[in-house]
Amino acid sequence: MSRLLDPGFNLTLRPMRYPKFYEMYRGAIKNTWSVEEIDFQIDLSHLQRRMSAADRHLIERLVAFFATGDSIVANNLVLSLYKHINAPEARMYLSRQLFEEALHVQFYLTLLDNYVPDQKQRARAFAAIDNIPSIRRKAQFCQRWTDSVLTLHRIESVADKRRFLLNLTCFASCIEGLFFFGAFAYVYFLRSRGLLPGLAAGTNWVFRDESAHMAFAYQVLDTVRQEEPELFDAEWAAQVKTMIEEAVECEVAFADDVLSDGVPGLTRIEMRQYLQYVADQRLLKLHLPTTYGSHNPFAFMELQDVQELTNFFERKVSSYQVAVQGEVAFDHAF
Amino acid sequence: MMRTLAQTGNGWMTFKDKANRACNQTARPEAVVHLSNLCTEILEITADTESAVCNLGSINLARHVADRGFDFEKLAQTVELAVRQLDRVIDLNFYPIESARGSNLRWRPVGLGLMGLQDVFFQLRLPFDSESARALSCRISEEVYFHALRTSAELAREGGAHPSFAETRAALGELQFDAWGVTPSNPRRWEDLLAQIRTHGLRNSLLIAIAPTATIASIAGCCECIEPQISNLFKRETLSGDFLQVNAYLALELKRLGLWTPEMRNAVKLADGSVQGIDAIPGELRSIYRTAWELPMRALIEMAADRGAFVDQSQSLNLFIANPSIGQLSSMYMYAWKKGLKTTYYLRSRPATSIAKTTVRETAAIACSLENPQACEACQ
Repeated sequence: MSRLLDPGFNLTLRPMRYPKFYEMYRGAIKNTWSVEEIDFQIDLSHLQRRMSAADRHLIERLVAFFATGDSIVANNLVLSLYKHINAPEARMYLSRQLFEEALHVQFYLTLLDNYVPDQKQRARAFAAIDNIPSIRRKAQFCQRWTDSVLTLHRIESVADKRRFLLNLTCFASCIEGLFFFGAFAYVYFLRSRGLLPGLAAGTNWVFRDESAHMAFAYQVLDTVRQEEPELFDAEWAAQVKTMIEEAVECEVAFADDVLSDGVPGLTRIEMRQYLQYVADQRLLKLHLPTTYGSHNPFAFMELQDVQELTNFFERKVSSYQVAVQGEVAFDHAF
Repeated sequence: MMRTLAQTGNGWMTFKDKANRACNQTARPEAVVHLSNLCTEILEITADTESAVCNLGSINLARHVADRGFDFEKLAQTVELAVRQLDRVIDLNFYPIESARGSNLRWRPVGLGLMGLQDVFFQLRLPFDSESARALSCRISEEVYFHALRTSAELAREGGAHPSFAETRAALGELQFDAWGVTPSNPRRWEDLLAQIRTHGLRNSLLIAIAPTATIASIAGCCECIEPQISNLFKRETLSGDFLQVNAYLALELKRLGLWTPEMRNAVKLADGSVQGIDAIPGELRSIYRTAWELPMRALIEMAADRGAFVDQSQSLNLFIANPSIGQLSSMYMYAWKKGLKTTYYLRSRPATSIAKTTVRETAAIACSLENPQACEACQ
């Protein structure tokens, strides 16, 4: 039987080799949301009246990062993941993920347009990737890993496979799994102060999608590990460890910039500790020893880990599914 | 309709047949209940000249449990006080339009409801769908209805019946349970009450409406309305922020057993607030602390129908299916209608995929790993 990283464009869906990917695709479809469902009105009044200059600096940096982050992930998906993960059911999932990345880009663009009315400032936010050192550093980190597979058109050798696996690991563990998780923490920190509910609501949905993207990437890695365990040797482990440490340093530098004006209630030390904690979680997912041994310092992140209950008359309730199945009947169990 | 319910939770239903058959205001054929309010607990007649409005209040049942069990005496006192207060509001209120004022003064409806039913069951250690819980729930509603009517009859003796009393079913000696074909417990005391009503009339055409209490239950610190708990650990999203809510009764029980540890907290968190898969918790407790997602909805509907015989308006009955199919929903709502419910409120579901947990480890605990001591639960 062919393996997931064998080169080519397999088209066979029956018998299906990886039903798990197909399930993930269907789960994702049920979670369809749209940017129009999010209300930014309260956010705007908070930005004008309730936030300090330091808070606004945090928000500007955050929006500047978000504005480009998901585009970078989408590009890598097309340039690398879609090309080399060779199962049609996995490519179905990736097609769906690509749509979700576009949705996230639209969300952050809408956010930016709402938060930053001035055209010149908006342009500056998009130029952040070139002009703001802490963001440029993160972008360069991403770029380097995208570039690493840019000339890889067809996986021919074990070395090619290793190149690809590092690229996949980087996007799941460092970019979606660490850079984004860092950014989410700022959003939820603000929410814990009762600020920017629109940003938090949209971020909840983005977070839900990103969690699924990570789960898919780890599923790919675990599948390849089963099929070709020899690829996951000490050399791979060492490379991943170094890569994650580097990502933590990039994100810590970003935190130093974001919090440079002093945001009460959130320190750089805590942020570093949180990022180290998240990095350790990623290492565990990759079946590698943890590096830092840090504990999560942010009690407010616990709110993300429990199910939500929203009053319909206060906020848009997100706990619903589309594509519900079945026919009218009167004898089903309930 | 079922698809929209599944996809949005919206599509509140009013079963117009029962809503009209079992309404005290519809003794005359031209008096019609056309619709409910948003939360589906208010069912009153409307017409071009009459806009229905209603004052609401809810009794926190969690505060009516004594050492020896549910305190029905205290409940009777609370009901009397609440009905007198709600009745006063009718006269003191500001009415922005004449049709509302006219209607309210003619019918003088009030809506006394309940919240914290789940708290009572926790305190008395009753599983939500047990026979004893069902019997207690029914008895509570009967007592509330009885004392509300008793108070309204007293108010009528003091200040006269509401002007349209002659147009009500109560004037014909029919009360809510008659429309359900139910005989109340202790019929003797009801006969005495009917005699009072025949003599003095009632001050209020409607008395009972069970509102959702989403906000006030939060403020009072009890579970909403007549609902089972949504989860032992959840986040309440509100306009003023998101708040973590932990089931304090469960925490107390587990503390007594010496089980309320960080590991236990994490286990509950990992299970999305469910305790069903946690073997360390005794089976009896697990059964009591099931969440709304883990209870049969049939039991909820039956409980609502039992209570319905003593609710002269209606109840904001939410139903919960984590992952609904159309067939399940149509079966459920058909059953609700067949059991004689007047209305149903939201359908609550769960998202298809969820957020990666950040503050707990999702990978299975490693029994002991010398190579990887930081990940080893035993070595920490």
